[in-house]
Amino acid sequence: MLRTQLHRQLHQGTKGATEARMQNMVVFSVGGKRFAARTEEIGGVMPWPGSTAVPSDTPFVRALVRQENGCLPVFDLAAKFNRLLQDDEPLCLVVKHMDGPLAICIDSQVPSLHMVARSAVQYRAGNDSDIAGTCIAGEEEIPIINLTTLGVSSNRPA
Amino acid sequence: MGLRGYKTAVVSRGLEVRFLVVLLGATHVAFPSHWVRGIVTPGQEGHDGPVTWANASYAPTDLARRLTIQAKSVTAETRVVLYANEQRSRSFAVDKVVGLIDVERSLILPLPAQFRGGERERLLGLFVESSYIALIANPFWVLELPSRNNVLDVFVLRLSERRPDEFDSRLRLPATILEEASLMPSGSVK
Repeated sequence: MLRTQLHRQLHQGTKGATEARMQNMVVFSVGGKRFAARTEEIGGVMPWPGSTAVPSDTPFVRALVRQENGCLPVFDLAAKFNRLLQDDEPLCLVVKHMDGPLAICIDSQVPSLHMVARSAVQYRAGNDSDIAGTCIAGEEEIPIINLTTLGVSSNRPA
Repeated sequence: MGLRGYKTAVVSRGLEVRFLVVLLGATHVAFPSHWVRGIVTPGQEGHDGPVTWANASYAPTDLARRLTIQAKSVTAETRVVLYANEQRSRSFAVDKVVGLIDVERSLILPLPAQFRGGERERLLGLFVESSYIALIANPFWVLELPSRNNVLDVFVLRLSERRPDEFDSRLRLPATILEEASLMPSGSVK
């Protein structure tokens, strides 16, 4: 019995160690440019419901979208990275932002889940606090977006 | 449920704010109607000077520009809203008058916290209607007066005092405009 428990603990320990060495990332694209984000920062994906413009001074936050009985503010990630959204049927990425749920208009290509080795993730502080670093997913180096703090301190175009 | 909660629920039932909803460009903007003194056609407006209506003068303000909204040029649907309280009055052009709408206080949403700029001074919040989202203009900002906390509560309390069958007599719209407004699609968000 002890041996069984020990084996189980060893097995769980190995599994835990493997998980500790991996990072779940969601990869999505905006105007053809690919971005990665930590899975736990994403609330969901839905069809883009169309937005209502808001006369706003806040950089990149200038619209609302409907969600159920309320609405979500929209962060214009395409504008921040000077990309042009040309998709006829874009998707809405709902983000778990520190100030409440936030919507981002992304390309129609459904976001993909990637298990990325920790060694392939490079966290580094740069000029833009909206970018956490980069990761290698699908043999491509992709910027990691800080979705929870998006726009909080970075008001500059990338 | 405790008595306190029950009482609160009873007191809060039926609290609502009446808004005048207009279009500025493609944006639906709502104004607490309590301070709407009239709606006139551009032809009745003075050129660049104040609008005089019913012995009261209303200084013009370019509300679309102040809200940083690209308004349309003058059309047959353009109207001038006369807006005032006891302290100050203003007149401003809108691209279209959508109508009057009563909105339950609980359905008025604050501007999401992600909006952190000057829009927080200009806009009190929003409400969602079946075919549009209306942004609520801060009536104090419209009149270029210092703002205050809980602005909408002032309008909620006053409106809640009216009887169900009583039209808000403080909304002193000219008779011709009232007839026009009665033909407009209006309703309530409940």
